[in-house]
Amino acid sequence: MLGKGVVGGGGGTKAPKPSFVSYVRPEEIHTNEKEVTEKEVTLHLLPGEQLLCEASTVLKYVQEDSCQHGVYGRLVCTDFKIAFLGDDESALDNDETQFKNKVVGENDITLHCVDQIYGVFDEKKKTLFGQLKKYPEKLIIHCKDLRVFQFCLRYTKEEEVKRIVSGIIHHTQAPKLLKRLFLFSYATAAQNNTVTDPKNHTIMFDTLKDWCWELERTKGNMKYKAVSVNEGYKVCERLPAYFVVPTPLPEENVQRFQGHGIPIWCWSCHNGSALLKMSALPKEQDDGILQIQKSFLDGVYKTIHRPPYEIVKTEDLSSNFLSLQEIQTAYSKFKQLFLIDNSTEFWDTDIKWFSLLESSSWLDIIRRCLKKAIEITECMEAQNMNVLLLEENASDLCCLISSLVQLMMDPHCRTRIGFQSLIQKEWVMGGHCFLDRCNHLRQNDKEEVPVFLLFLDCVWQLVHQHPPAFEFTETYLTVLSDSLYIPIFSTFFFNSPHQKDTNMHQRQLSLPLTQSKSSPKRGFFREETDHLIKNLLGKRISKLINSSDELQDNFREFYDSWHSKPTDYHGLLLPHIEGPEIKVWAQRYLRWIPEAQILGGSRVATMSKLLEMIEEVQSLQEKIDERHHSQQAPQAEAPCLLRNSARLSSLFPFALLQRHSSKPVLPTSGWKALGDEDDLAKREDEFVDLGDV
Amino acid sequence: MWWGGRGQSFNIAPQKEEPEMGSVQESRMPEPRSRQPSSCLASRCLPGEQILAWAPGVRKGLEPELSGTLICTNFRVTFQPCGWQQNEDTPLSSEYDFALVNIGRLEAVSGLSRVQLLRPGSLLKFIPEEIMIHGRDFRLLRVGFEAGGLEPQAFQVTMAIVQARAQSNPAQQYSGITLSKAGQASGSRKPPVPLMETAEDWETERKKQAARGWRVSTVNERFDVATSLPRYFWVPNRILDSEVRRAFGHFHQGRGPRLSWHHPGGSDLLRCGGFYTASDPNKEDIRAVESMLQAGHSDVVLVDTMDELPSLADVQLAHLRLRALCLPDSSVAEDKWLSALEGTRWLDYIRACLRKASDISVLVTSRVRSVILQERGDRDLNGLLSSLVQLLSAPEARTLFGFQSLVQREWVAAGHPFLTRLGGTGASEEAPVFLLFLDCVWQLLQQFPADFEFSEFFLLALHDSVRVPDTLTFLRNTPWERGKQSGQLNSYTQVYTPGYSQPPAGNSFNLQLSVWDWDLRYSNAQILQFQNPGYDPEHCPDSWLPRPQPSFMIPGPPSSVWLFSRGALTPLNQLCPWRDSPSLLAVSSRWLPRPAISSESLADQEWGLPSHWGACPLPPGLLLPGYLGPQIRFWRRCYLRGRPEVQTGLSAPTISGLQDELSHLQELLRKWTPRISPEVHSKKRDPHTILNPTEIVGILKGRAEGDLG
Repeated sequence: MLGKGVVGGGGGTKAPKPSFVSYVRPEEIHTNEKEVTEKEVTLHLLPGEQLLCEASTVLKYVQEDSCQHGVYGRLVCTDFKIAFLGDDESALDNDETQFKNKVVGENDITLHCVDQIYGVFDEKKKTLFGQLKKYPEKLIIHCKDLRVFQFCLRYTKEEEVKRIVSGIIHHTQAPKLLKRLFLFSYATAAQNNTVTDPKNHTIMFDTLKDWCWELERTKGNMKYKAVSVNEGYKVCERLPAYFVVPTPLPEENVQRFQGHGIPIWCWSCHNGSALLKMSALPKEQDDGILQIQKSFLDGVYKTIHRPPYEIVKTEDLSSNFLSLQEIQTAYSKFKQLFLIDNSTEFWDTDIKWFSLLESSSWLDIIRRCLKKAIEITECMEAQNMNVLLLEENASDLCCLISSLVQLMMDPHCRTRIGFQSLIQKEWVMGGHCFLDRCNHLRQNDKEEVPVFLLFLDCVWQLVHQHPPAFEFTETYLTVLSDSLYIPIFSTFFFNSPHQKDTNMHQRQLSLPLTQSKSSPKRGFFREETDHLIKNLLGKRISKLINSSDELQDNFREFYDSWHSKPTDYHGLLLPHIEGPEIKVWAQRYLRWIPEAQILGGSRVATMSKLLEMIEEVQSLQEKIDERHHSQQAPQAEAPCLLRNSARLSSLFPFALLQRHSSKPVLPTSGWKALGDEDDLAKREDEFVDLGDV
Repeated sequence: MWWGGRGQSFNIAPQKEEPEMGSVQESRMPEPRSRQPSSCLASRCLPGEQILAWAPGVRKGLEPELSGTLICTNFRVTFQPCGWQQNEDTPLSSEYDFALVNIGRLEAVSGLSRVQLLRPGSLLKFIPEEIMIHGRDFRLLRVGFEAGGLEPQAFQVTMAIVQARAQSNPAQQYSGITLSKAGQASGSRKPPVPLMETAEDWETERKKQAARGWRVSTVNERFDVATSLPRYFWVPNRILDSEVRRAFGHFHQGRGPRLSWHHPGGSDLLRCGGFYTASDPNKEDIRAVESMLQAGHSDVVLVDTMDELPSLADVQLAHLRLRALCLPDSSVAEDKWLSALEGTRWLDYIRACLRKASDISVLVTSRVRSVILQERGDRDLNGLLSSLVQLLSAPEARTLFGFQSLVQREWVAAGHPFLTRLGGTGASEEAPVFLLFLDCVWQLLQQFPADFEFSEFFLLALHDSVRVPDTLTFLRNTPWERGKQSGQLNSYTQVYTPGYSQPPAGNSFNLQLSVWDWDLRYSNAQILQFQNPGYDPEHCPDSWLPRPQPSFMIPGPPSSVWLFSRGALTPLNQLCPWRDSPSLLAVSSRWLPRPAISSESLADQEWGLPSHWGACPLPPGLLLPGYLGPQIRFWRRCYLRGRPEVQTGLSAPTISGLQDELSHLQELLRKWTPRISPEVHSKKRDPHTILNPTEIVGILKGRAEGDLG
């Protein structure tokens, strides 16, 4: 993997120095240097990955400023990713390869990570889709992880442009069949050799045993039982093969409405109260059927509501809480703040940063989610009530709220393994439609709602406010959010466990795949909300809840009293939700914006200091242990990363992936008057002098 | 505007100073005194302080509630918890003391709904069950009064506060206190930070900066050049004092160009006031002015300080809005918080300051030149910028000692009118420029947590000290007034201020107390917290070795003269406005709008910075702060202190806990193995365990658990 000659900008000294009043467009300057021969740069392919099309002599712009220059290279499109093979890969030294992503390189975009593609025609930017009549001179790719790539195709052969542009558009934008997911080619080609440590692994909740273990851990086994009634997805394809229901609930009830209207256990609190979720019954107009539904629900209800021993409170998440539509709108506004084609644009919005941020209302949505989770926590913790979450399919906001509640109440969920098990339990087994919500198949843009990202952002708020309470850091969350778009893990690429099992299974048997019917349409865009269930359950509930004012008072009191006490990081954990406390997850959203980099600063600096201290504490501790036991204590080496590397920037570990190619010295009008070569040389000498000191 | 409606309920109007101090006070005084609870109360008083009223009360709002006594004296309101004074060694409490000037709003509460806002001079309409004291420093004190026969006392103490506020005149009162207290201090003592009041201090500092082309001028020793200037300052070697005197006459209020800081790389940072355009200097004078500005460099950059920075009125308005926003009962909805915050423009001003300071740091560092900060008054933003530039460029300034010296030199000695700016005189020119500076420093602390020796706690302490009436540091406008008051200038005052009476005998020069005598207000445990445990000594001083400087030749006219304005350098024909075209002198506001290329930061222009980005991207010691919207933060621990929900958890125990444990372990080890050599620290490094932050947090968590018990 040898580098080829630097083309384009070059070192600040060699490049021509256009002033900002220059009338020669930078592109024109660079054409002179186009002659440089290109050497082949190896394209790394994953097992099962195939090259689909490619184009050479593509100029990748360096995003950071309005001065356009960049590096030449090949743009390729495989069935897994779009990759740019420039020359600067060879420049990575050891330090940096250490932090490199093993699967996705800095210039790689997995097909699923592509958000929007724009073409520039005569300085005008247009969204690209479908068949093109005319091919753009510049391609702008916005990624779902908020990177922005710009490729200039002006020097590329015309057929190559056609091939690569239509290839990229087709493979990223066109609706696709499930069986075409790269996941399957990869699974077939790659041998799965991962050996998991049996003691210390994520619980997958795909066996009865896992559920029993969870019941035992939370001491929920007195009142709840794991059932295998849905083994082989006999009852419904929406639910996992195994799940937990209240002990008194007859199993035949589960079959009655294909698992709808059944309280499914999520988690039990130490005081015995439980968090449950229920998907709504189908809507019916017929009075007779309504009557049947009502008596069914009454029966079910008695299993969890047995005053004075058990009291249940219902939270209807589909009618008086967030709508998925709101989340979608907010996020699409919010992400625009970070998808920046050039930095001038960024500076323009900078002045109005806070009001723009606020008008996206993404942070407010986060606040509302956290608030709802606190309310439920209060019911369970302080009032000892069961809480039943209700949603049409119990697979979006149910997952989000129940995971948040568990994260706040159960310290186990704040370990890495516990957190992964939680995601497995509530999201993967809970039937969150990752495939549709991430729009991996590009079949319906309207279904694309970043519910899981919203969850991660809520978790980030908690991690940010109470870092010592969590085993993992924000970097873990950022990487986790990236893995949503890397189709070599099956976790986030199915709508339900059933879909995963059938597809992965069939694949192994090499049976011809028919496109599995995508899960029933979630009706969240329907105008009409589900009043029926609310009415049926709501009347009973109204006896329990005297007024919403009182609810607010309880909430306030609970919230205030928790925050006025010292925090126990191993107990109940509540986030602050006041206006100033909800913040932007800077690491995820700002990491690709060079202007946002603080050289040698930010938390990374504290972190490296901490690590040094931890290391010292450990080595001292070992010595003390040695003296006491006069035997070798088990080697517990502290991670000693960051300090070899001189000073890291605030964008660590992502900044290292972000290679800054050089940029010419841009004189202002003032310098222009000055700018003879002598002076520039002198200036550089001075710099070197200072640097050497 | 959103805050407009709140104006009435927020007492910000400058207090009317009532000249007649006497009548009310005297008639009231004996009564409460006669009922003083115990002599121990009085023993807590500062010299010259008189207790006006007191009442038993309960500190509310925080768990646990504390019972104690609320006391109003002639210069502060203080709450003394029961059993508190015995084990404390500081005369003032940092937590419960509210200087009368610091009281921003006073409210009396009765029942759930009766709230009366008490302005100076208003009459209390009911017997209060609770009073709320909102500090201008964003603190809040809530004291509830017990029922059961003590209501008259509650009424009295509240009224006493109202009246004392109306009568308070900080300038007069505090001088007495300081003088007599200083008299109590035993023997001669060395101030913790050089106060820059003697020529020796200046000479020492000059040597430290290795500013060899400069000398200490004594021309203002008698404050006859300018009372707002320090007695000593630095001027170029070659310039005679007589030339200095003449040159300074051509600057606004006599504040001519002086050295602020000498960059080890050779550049000089100067500050001066605006050109005094009405004067008609002769050729000699112009030459003196020019060579002082030029300071021996061929490259000269004149920085228009006011350009793109907020005016004093802007700063004041933004601060008022910020305070209104941060009131505990602020009616801003949670989801409107961000735009309300933006509406204060406070963060915008911070951003502008950081940006400009960052640009100037680049100018000073990137080549050897003279950079002159020019502000008309030279007493506000010049100090702010020059301090920030030094914090960004000089690692010494980031130590605790260095920072205090910096504030002492660039703010206190340089004549920042603290008293006026902080509202002490009731004059209209109130503008908390210094608090704006502290917020900028806090931003730097956030962005570079390992580069500063001091902690956020220290900044808070400094923030809270600006109105505490115990030392003169922040309670005078000029070095002259400060020196006059502390009796330092005995030999001079008679000559130059005939109206001034001789201070009591027994005050000698070295008995002065300054704000840097932290033990006046803070306990040792608190002072320990001034240290930033995350400070990385690797980044501390000496990384800049003094470099051989270009010798100061007798220069011809400077080869290049620039005006730095709107983020760009523009060539100037001449340094001074007088010679050819007098129109050049009004440097502000006529320049072109900032070029569209504003995304190109000056650092990039000067260096083509990114080509040097890598392991060691910047010259050692230089920090370039981020100043984008998302990077400027809100100083929650300072501004939201009044809100009960954020009062707890103000500092995370983790790092300091770790530090404690570390020293504890080292202690243990030292005891057991006295002969252990440091080389035993064999540290194996497994590259594969690298980058697993979860483990780190796991370990941390274990530690935190230990600490929390």
